Amino acid sequence: MAHPLREKAAVSGIGETAYTRGTPKSGLALQLEASLAAIADAGLSPRDIDGVVPYFPGGGIAEDFIANLGLPDLKLSLFVPMGGATCVAAIQSAAMAVATGVCNHVLIAVGRTGYSGARVSTRLQQFPQFALAAEFEAPIGMFAPAQLYAQGARRHMELYGTTARQFAEVAVVTRRHAILNGNVVMNKPLTVEEHHASRMIADPFRLFDCSLESDGGAAIVISRADRARDLRKPLVTIMGVAEGHPESPASIAQRPDLLEFGLVKAAPRAYSMAGVGPTDMDLAEIYDCFTFTVIRQLEILGFCKTGEGGPFVMDGRIALGGDLPINTHGGLLSQGHVVGLNHAIELTRQLRGEAGKAQVKDAELGLVTGYGDMGDGSIAILRRAA
Amino acid sequence: MSTAPAPAPERPLPVPTRESQPFWDGMREGRFMLQHCSSCGKVRHYPRPVCPHCFSMDSEFREAPTGGMIHTWTVCHHPFNFFFKQAAPYIVALVDMDAGVRVNAPLRGVAEADLRIGKRVKLAFEPINKEVTLPFFVSE
Repeated sequence: MAHPLREKAAVSGIGETAYTRGTPKSGLALQLEASLAAIADAGLSPRDIDGVVPYFPGGGIAEDFIANLGLPDLKLSLFVPMGGATCVAAIQSAAMAVATGVCNHVLIAVGRTGYSGARVSTRLQQFPQFALAAEFEAPIGMFAPAQLYAQGARRHMELYGTTARQFAEVAVVTRRHAILNGNVVMNKPLTVEEHHASRMIADPFRLFDCSLESDGGAAIVISRADRARDLRKPLVTIMGVAEGHPESPASIAQRPDLLEFGLVKAAPRAYSMAGVGPTDMDLAEIYDCFTFTVIRQLEILGFCKTGEGGPFVMDGRIALGGDLPINTHGGLLSQGHVVGLNHAIELTRQLRGEAGKAQVKDAELGLVTGYGDMGDGSIAILRRAA
Repeated sequence: MSTAPAPAPERPLPVPTRESQPFWDGMREGRFMLQHCSSCGKVRHYPRPVCPHCFSMDSEFREAPTGGMIHTWTVCHHPFNFFFKQAAPYIVALVDMDAGVRVNAPLRGVAEADLRIGKRVKLAFEPINKEVTLPFFVSE
């Protein structure tokens, strides 16, 4: 029997602001601007939104959405505090809400002033998930994600021979894709040599292994599949979706295996719900807070075995035209950092055939992942309906 | 135009909780104190109210051996907090302690080229002020 969530919900609308470094707008304004764009893209009125999942902490809360959009009858307000895994995990929450009839149209929205507002270390101090890191690791000089995740990357290199050259390949291919997209922060080509010459942040991560600090907003609307069919854009249904939480979720240091992210648990559930596997994917949008994070997730997702992620990304395999194009919009590394909601937007665009110069030919099935906090994971598998 | 306030160049210090106070008290006395379940005896770190193995809420802190082996490491070059600008670059080693938990702390007196998984190190104590002592590692 098919899973009760499968194909019951759809991504009906997508919206983004310009991705920039510097903006006079507040995080809330960016979040609402993207929300209005997503609602219009779906062919809905703001009054139709009856559920909201704002990214938290940061940006607006349900009250702001009611006040600004004049929502007449909000039936669901949720936070999904999973850092970078939030947006895709929120798709699961929203899909549950529409599949059960609690809501018809749920808005997921992010607004972020990561460049012009508080920077990463300051921002994370608001996160209850970072309390252990604040008590035990910040005092010894470890707090930023680049530092905390670097130790896992180093261990992967020591155990499997993964190289900086392979990290660079992810950065360079992602940049090449970004240049095809009109709305990106980084629009100049990047070479392997430039990657290797960029300054070291937290070994083994160099500057170009790290995602951007940028300003921008992004939003999507999740609708009941039967309602979405009658809306403005081609139907993109949610085939499978899941979130997963690793052992020792608030402390990477105490995790038995540093490389076992929440995606280890989420991916098999999503594949099973969708009734598909990795070899069925036409493309993948992989959460890329760091180049290495992409390499490890490709392993966890079953595109290759553990330890083979480094070689897997070489030889054009992950580029447009390759076996598995990834991050066709430029990702967090080159497009902008809106906590990965831009990945879900790009996958939807690809499946609608709206991806312009970056269009993967005949894209019908793809996946998007989220990765956050100390290794929470999320995944959604989307399909263009016949 | 919204602009971020400049981060204060203060040293981030631990704010002990009711659960973790005995660990930090131990550090101040130069003793590596770890929380053990009073019911099943298993060690847990970081300190927390419930044993995840047997769900007992009774626990005690016991002094633990300070040796261990490097599990992995990073070398911090960019000081995300201004306080660490002077120290950078510095090695932070994640160590599998003989006591059965991991500790993340700066590793001193070891060259980057000599870092490897499994290298033996031992925990040492650095008083920061009257209340706070922080751990660091040296070669065993």
